Amino acid sequence: MNDNMKVTITEGPEVIITISGRLDTNSSADFEKTIEPILSGTALKVKMNCTDLKYVSSSGLRLFLLLQKKLSHRNGTLRLCGLSADVREVFDVTGFSALFLIE
Amino acid sequence: MQKALSIKNDIKELNRMNLFLEEVGKDFHLESSFLVKLNLVLEEAVSNIIFYAYKPGEVDRPIDIILSYTDLLAVKLVDKGKPFDPTKRANPDITLSLEERPIGGLGIFLIKQIMDEVTYKRENGQNILIMKKRIKV
Repeated sequence: MNDNMKVTITEGPEVIITISGRLDTNSSADFEKTIEPILSGTALKVKMNCTDLKYVSSSGLRLFLLLQKKLSHRNGTLRLCGLSADVREVFDVTGFSALFLIE
Repeated sequence: MQKALSIKNDIKELNRMNLFLEEVGKDFHLESSFLVKLNLVLEEAVSNIIFYAYKPGEVDRPIDIILSYTDLLAVKLVDKGKPFDPTKRANPDITLSLEERPIGGLGIFLIKQIMDEVTYKRENGQNILIMKKRIKV
């Protein structure tokens, strides 16, 4: 696991993914591996707690989009919570803000 | 003011680049919100060189990172890989719906959105990418 990124998954009626640190070229493979059960599973309600997510690069954005596409495909919902101003700006610039439910 | 770092074409080297950028931020007195963007620009540009300019299996190849700050901030990246012009990449359509939106292709776009000027040239068997940004002192 990359030192600069941590992800924990809490199962429940709504699955909560808590991510902290840097989601970048180096850590995104670990992140993808950790959320694989959610990507290929049956969960319909997923919340991503991004309060401590400091940084996201394009390699991280592709996983946000992948998760959103997978959930949308099975009529599920994904909520993103606690985006920092820096991360929010990356979402705005890339048009991602329109593709996600951001709280 | 100028600061330079030479790394190898390995994504693990990005960690060393990030530490170098922290130093640059202090020396150049950059705002932390801009430093995050500069980090993003460099990560996207350098990882593209690692993935596309150098061939898989080619190891220990150099990437030079030179940052200078006079009236504007300039980033110069030099590598000895095959000709690779990231400025030629078409911009993604960011108005597409979730279903239509392709996965990926955002790295170069982010660079172009953040920096004011991005230019590429091929000289003496090297790719040279220069990115400039006017920032407040």
